[in-house]
Amino acid sequence: MTLPLSMYAQLPILIVLISLVYSATRYDRWDLILGEAFRWGSRMAIFLLAIGAVLFLVAYFIDAR
Amino acid sequence: MSTRAPQEHPVSLLGGVLSYLVPGLGQIVQGRIGKGLLFMVSLLGLFHLGQAMGDWKNVYIPITAGAREDERFFEPKNQSRSERFANLHHNLYQRWQYLGQFWIGIAAWPALWQYFDMPVPADESQRFWRNLQRAPSEAEINNFWVNSDKTPDLGWIYTVIAGVLNILVIYDAYAGPAHPGDPREPKKDKQPQETAA
Repeated sequence: MTLPLSMYAQLPILIVLISLVYSATRYDRWDLILGEAFRWGSRMAIFLLAIGAVLFLVAYFIDAR
Repeated sequence: MSTRAPQEHPVSLLGGVLSYLVPGLGQIVQGRIGKGLLFMVSLLGLFHLGQAMGDWKNVYIPITAGAREDERFFEPKNQSRSERFANLHHNLYQRWQYLGQFWIGIAAWPALWQYFDMPVPADESQRFWRNLQRAPSEAEINNFWVNSDKTPDLGWIYTVIAGVLNILVIYDAYAGPAHPGDPREPKKDKQPQETAA
């Protein structure tokens, strides 16, 4: 039985979990944990979106040829 | 004026071991219950979600080393436990993902149980437990991967991420967080200079 979920739908969950767990190993106070998690989550999301945009443009120009 | 000094975290081997066995358990025992529950739910959830995405067939140790080439397409399960132990590093080389998955703790131990051919439920009604983290045959693997999309690929990545993140959690339980205080607060060692009267 395989889970019927889109792999892209799970990406935000993965980003939130990784940011929270990583940040919680850096600090003990919840305000610091959440702030650091937000910063790391934003960085990861921007990084992945940038890669997605580059791949989209490459695919677009290859198709346009 | 007093500033809040960062709490020193004593080194705790027990905390590290407990957090290896069950992610977050070391932190819970140390009284950091919220953090412990966060680790436990997040990492065990991620690990089991990854397993479910891979149809519960992506956490295992294959038995290939020491088997004859023609046996690899069947089930070379006739090796003794000592032979399997001697070949463990070869088999882990064939399935390096387990080296990351192992760090999730007890949740990845059924793969070792199956690898060393320990007793499993014979009852057909307990098929899930009988096959949990058992190395699938070559035919099973081929059939599954040919008939699936990219979801199982993402599944084993989730399980490895969960295991590797737990290394950070183990270290947090062992030695405390990387930054025990608030980095924005002024440092304690800056003493005001005394001026001569």
